[in-house]
Amino acid sequence: MSDPLGPVFFALADPTRRTMLAAMVRDGSASVPSLTATLPISRQAIAKHLATLEDAGLLERWGSTGREVRYGLRPHALAPALDWLRDADAAWGRRLARLKEAVESTVE
Amino acid sequence: MEVEREAMQGEPRPPGSGDAPAEVQREVEIEATPEQVFEALVTEQGRERWLDEPDREIHVESSEAPHRLVWWWASEDEPATRVAFEIVAIPAGARVVVTETSPAPSFPLATLAASFMLVAA
Repeated sequence: MSDPLGPVFFALADPTRRTMLAAMVRDGSASVPSLTATLPISRQAIAKHLATLEDAGLLERWGSTGREVRYGLRPHALAPALDWLRDADAAWGRRLARLKEAVESTVE
Repeated sequence: MEVEREAMQGEPRPPGSGDAPAEVQREVEIEATPEQVFEALVTEQGRERWLDEPDREIHVESSEAPHRLVWWWASEDEPATRVAFEIVAIPAGARVVVTETSPAPSFPLATLAASFMLVAA
């Protein structure tokens, strides 16, 4: 089964990773050292979370300053997730219309 | 039969505003008893009358006739999602509220999406 949204949803489900994304929204970019200064977790844990976000396609590397790699949000990375929500909403509109018709035609 | 817009309420729950789950919610009022509606949801024969998606495999998680039904469904092309129906008796018949939840437990998708769009601009 193809599930392109799985890694995105998995990445976003973790509050620490959401905090990291919020930091990037606020500051424009982030790095392991900058996140280590604000989050109560180890550098290794931060690097692991960044890898998860990068693997999900939510982040991209913006280059490095010396040994410090900076990460930024990948534009439009959430578009597939938003598409899923819009499609699901439209589909339920159609399904419930058919359900209403089917049940009421039986009752009449 | 055309369903009046007033009877079909619900926008996709803001693709996750605040900490709301990534879910869509819709509701419809039906001129029938909750039992009649429930039968159309819970049995294969009933679903064949309105659910034209035979490629989706349905696994019922819980069933509390005639007021609540939860199933998981998936197809080859789509990941599994959870669908919950609440059926409430109202003077005109029954109100059905359906909520489909994505695999994500909870995240502020709308807020993040807006941020990603800002980055893209």
